[in-house]
Amino acid sequence: MALAIHPGAPATSGRRVAGVLLRDRGAVLSAAFLALIVLMALGAPLISAISGHGPNEFDTAAVNTDLGGVPHGAFGGISAEHPLGVEPQNGRDILARIAYGARVSLLIAAAATALTTLLGVVLGMLAGFVQGWVDQVICRIMDFLMAFPALIFMIAILSSLPQGNREVLLVLVISGFGWPYLARVVRGQTLTLVNREFVEAARASGASTGALVFKEILPNLRSSLIVMTTLAVPGYVGTEAGLSFLGVGVAPPTPSWGQMIASSVGWYAVDPMYFAIPGTFLFLTVLSLTVLGDRLRAAFDAGEAS
Amino acid sequence: MSDLLVVEDLTVTFPTARGPVDVVRSVSFTLGRDETLGIVGESGSGKSMTSLAVMGLLPKGARASGSVRLDGVELLGRPDRELRRLRGDRMSMIFQDPLSSLNPYYTVGLQIEEVYRAHRGGSGKDARKVAIAALQQVGLPDPERRVDYYPHQFSGGQRQRVMIAMALVCSPELLIADEPTTALDVTVQAQILGLLAGLRKDSGMGLVFITHDLAVISSIATRVLVMRQGEQVEYATAEQVFAEPRHDYTRMLLDSIPRIDDPLDEGVTA
Amino acid sequence: MARYLAGRAAGVVVILLLVCLFTFVIFFTLSPDPAVMICGKTCTPERIHQIRDALGLNEPFLTQFFSFLIGIFAGRDYGEGANLVHCAAPCLGYSFQTNQSVWDMVVERLPVSATVAIGAAVLWLLVGIAAGLVSAVKEGTWWDRAAMGLALGGSSVPNYVLALALQYVLVVQLQVLPFPQAVAFGDDPVVWFQSYLMPWVVLAAGYACLYARLTRANVIDTLAENFMRTARAKGLSPVLTMRRHALRPALTPIATIFGMDFAALLGGALITETVFGLNGVGKMAADSIAKNDQPVIMAVTLLAAFFVVVGNVVVDLVYTALDPRVRITAR
Repeated sequence: MALAIHPGAPATSGRRVAGVLLRDRGAVLSAAFLALIVLMALGAPLISAISGHGPNEFDTAAVNTDLGGVPHGAFGGISAEHPLGVEPQNGRDILARIAYGARVSLLIAAAATALTTLLGVVLGMLAGFVQGWVDQVICRIMDFLMAFPALIFMIAILSSLPQGNREVLLVLVISGFGWPYLARVVRGQTLTLVNREFVEAARASGASTGALVFKEILPNLRSSLIVMTTLAVPGYVGTEAGLSFLGVGVAPPTPSWGQMIASSVGWYAVDPMYFAIPGTFLFLTVLSLTVLGDRLRAAFDAGEAS
Repeated sequence: MSDLLVVEDLTVTFPTARGPVDVVRSVSFTLGRDETLGIVGESGSGKSMTSLAVMGLLPKGARASGSVRLDGVELLGRPDRELRRLRGDRMSMIFQDPLSSLNPYYTVGLQIEEVYRAHRGGSGKDARKVAIAALQQVGLPDPERRVDYYPHQFSGGQRQRVMIAMALVCSPELLIADEPTTALDVTVQAQILGLLAGLRKDSGMGLVFITHDLAVISSIATRVLVMRQGEQVEYATAEQVFAEPRHDYTRMLLDSIPRIDDPLDEGVTA
Repeated sequence: MARYLAGRAAGVVVILLLVCLFTFVIFFTLSPDPAVMICGKTCTPERIHQIRDALGLNEPFLTQFFSFLIGIFAGRDYGEGANLVHCAAPCLGYSFQTNQSVWDMVVERLPVSATVAIGAAVLWLLVGIAAGLVSAVKEGTWWDRAAMGLALGGSSVPNYVLALALQYVLVVQLQVLPFPQAVAFGDDPVVWFQSYLMPWVVLAAGYACLYARLTRANVIDTLAENFMRTARAKGLSPVLTMRRHALRPALTPIATIFGMDFAALLGGALITETVFGLNGVGKMAADSIAKNDQPVIMAVTLLAAFFVVVGNVVVDLVYTALDPRVRITAR
């Protein structure tokens, strides 16, 4: 058993996992959709340039001002001019806003994931490696943060914070409440690894702490870290959208999917496409990330079992 | 009177990704009342699958063919509903790891009582008395109190005693013990072995004792069946097997039994 | 046992105090001055000072904090002389917006949140566990794949999207349900039920999907346990084998997760209540945040933390009752 988890094994298992995922239709479809969303986010200015509509350009010609601003045409004003229709009242192009919104959503989710992982790994390994009072303190902080009503508290904090850089604040708040879930697992695995033969052997042969951490422990945490982070991303996409939906996330006029859905609440009866489009994008993105994380975990689990 | 258990030409087939695989091929043996049959083989030799096929407990997808007769009655091909009435009542089985074989959420009393009540009915009070008596029979001290203990409150050997009590509560004619002592300390192994031999003698039931260790059954088996890779390589009386084994493989197994003058070698039984 | 309980109770108090302090610090240091907001456009510095005085905002931070704490346990007085208002314990202060007692607001709205939470919990437990069980027993069949695909998809729908979609289909298009109204059960049970139906479904959907997947995984793991083979070897009926030997080990971990989820919901289902306009604690939280009504925000945060922390203790106690291997030891 000790041989099976020895450093060096992950490289081949990485190739095996990739092979398993490539043969999985759900995983491939999810990855393809996510690639599309990422491309759309990266190419948002290009999309605007081609369609000729920026995310914040009003197009009053596209809405019927006599009917209170309902878009002209069926399905929320879908036309060659506006492939995904326009917002009621001000006629902003939904495709452009979706593309720019994807930038915000993905950037926040990615940054929150990176920061959460960094905090979770550093603090979790610190607790598991140093132990003693450091471990005690970190564990108490984790207990405290996990006992918090996170959503209400995030909203409370975000609403009372000055209207500075909302995106950065969102990342900080999401990560601040998210890291204990990762750190708890990292700490547990570090604790068991520290006492494994190969780590003790490395320590006995005079390896420095840094070498121990980066060469012996971190490589062995890799598969669970990959799985946990992949499964955390959809949660953060959802959280960002939820906070923006509640009006404490990304501040207008910067578009975000959650905020688009929030502004569609008053219109859902007359213009259902207005919430259906960002809703569908949000749903498919979260679903793809979840499916990918789920399959990744299954692939890693199968590798461990064999 | 017919033999207690007659197995003829038993073959167990598993479906795999690369087509069906026979894990047991044409195994035949007979067990009389008052006899102990030792089935010996390495892991993967098909000895456990043979016993599970007799009990009708093969995993999903596995198929058994041939013939298994208990007291002259054919068991293979009978619906599970009918086999269920025999299991725990006329034939019982105990397993290698007593801790995981007992449900951690219930007292041992309940787990013994439920066998009795499933087959004999009766009130909870009667069943409890039977359970206490069964625990007494397997030599567990203070059974009136221990009957309300949970499995985790016992030691390994005591748990196996509980398993035996559970298997014997309906006085079965056939007991199959699948590596019952493998997970136990050596001294406890000997106690359990002695207990099984004694109980078998008192009740007159037939015992099938499965093990990977020839030495374990040398003292109690009347007949020995040696299996390797799904096939039986030797089937004879115990005296014959130990005195003049006919097959090289049996000889090899015999040679691997540690003698007193051998140096200690840890871990081979794991 | 008594020592254990005392220890846990102390832990609860410490965490709640920390939550209080944390929340207090954030509002004290970061929030815009509530006096300015109350004062409105025609405002003089004297008037602001007056308001701050009346609200006790001119006191030092720690004094304010302790007044708040004392208010919860013993009640406190606001203002002085003719303007003196006594706020009886448990005092959570008065809303900056409506001047209502915050405690009264909480008491008034808690039943709505509880109704939402209980109804949804019943729904998601029934649907989620049943679907997970059937999937586990029929592992690998088309039913299993369909149910689990649906569960994976369902857990990816944000509940406000589901809420809007349901409202659009059921209320606007098919008109089988009225728009949710605040009706007491005693006044009109039918409308009451119709009004709560959508919130229940919306709130339950995500949990049901999650619980279906959890149940399936746990049951499949349990069915592979050695004691299940023992149960079959004992000749027990399949029903008894499943009910007694498989369900309890498989569902016990779910009971603890349920406890935590349910406790969190008692503190208000923020999004669901807001979307459906239900006057529960969650909507109160959203409203108070939007209007920067600090005493109310403090109260809802504290209330939610209270439910989570107490729920944690209850879950641990229940777990020791459900799993005989876990025994309470004072730590």
